[in-house]
Amino acid sequence: MSFEKTTLEIIAPTVEEAIDRGLSQLGLSFDAVDVDILDQGSRGLFGLGSRQARVRLTIKPPAPQVEQQPVEQAAEAQAPAAAEPKRETKPAQPAAEAQEEKSAASEATREALRVAQQVVTELLEKMKVRADVSATVVEPVDENDEELVMVEIRGEDLSILIGRRSETLNALQYIASLIVSKELGRWVPMSIDVQGYRARRERQIRILARRMAEQALHTGRKQTLEPMPANERRLVHLELRDHPGVYTESTGDEPNRKVVILLKKNTQNE
Amino acid sequence: MKELIEYISRSLVDDPTQVHVREARDGSHVRLELRVAKEDMGRVIGKGGRVANSMRLLLRVAAAREGQQATLDVVEPR
Repeated sequence: MSFEKTTLEIIAPTVEEAIDRGLSQLGLSFDAVDVDILDQGSRGLFGLGSRQARVRLTIKPPAPQVEQQPVEQAAEAQAPAAAEPKRETKPAQPAAEAQEEKSAASEATREALRVAQQVVTELLEKMKVRADVSATVVEPVDENDEELVMVEIRGEDLSILIGRRSETLNALQYIASLIVSKELGRWVPMSIDVQGYRARRERQIRILARRMAEQALHTGRKQTLEPMPANERRLVHLELRDHPGVYTESTGDEPNRKVVILLKKNTQNE
Repeated sequence: MKELIEYISRSLVDDPTQVHVREARDGSHVRLELRVAKEDMGRVIGKGGRVANSMRLLLRVAAAREGQQATLDVVEPR
């Protein structure tokens, strides 16, 4: 079996079409590829100055889980820059101040990782599910962002943990977050993933964000997405941050907070 | 199954000593009754029943592992 990375670039009028075309060319399902949107294209005015969308599909290696090395246990708090290559590094601070801040933060972070790992392990054990549990921290993207505890569950036959439309995984994440937060006496943003499921979902949400933005432009109306947890909402915000025609907001209260995609003023009138 | 509900409930309430779970089996169906202190009812039910429903989803996994079906009722304290 070849593990060679194969990529395919497709140009089409819209991102969606480009992906569909690429997938049918490769004869693969959406789950079997990584999607990079190189150019989201633009409709142009009255057909003038329109630009085609350009995407790159990369065929994933057959067993996506073997290549990753989970950071076992909680100790390795600083490590996972590799886990989130898209995240930007924090702007540099005066050295002393940054140092101080960091050691204080990592103390609390280590504690959060240890408790998160332990609570999820305990829950799985009582659910009679055998799996490996590891916890890492995802650093904030900017000053409005919070640190996120990422718990990774790996093992065999874990689809039972995801459930229909990931409802079981969300339930596990919710219950675990409540217990961890109660134990630590502060709210800890936490995300649980099973066999890279959320990572795949992340790609789907990015595509969804683009599609809904396109729909907002097309219909001239704001688009409200389904309620999503904070980590998924963030993906939508990030994906559309530099979009020329729309901007995003979150409305409503947890757990029903959702993203609204609104038109920027200058594009509101045709 | 009982242990799962006990663990979650005890971890969420303010008074863990008042957490009681009764298990009634009927063939392949298991019915769990959860009792907590009155002041802790909200914590095991949650806004719109979110906590209780999440517990039910996790309970379903635990039950399926034993080839059974389970239901969870949060019982009002008298």
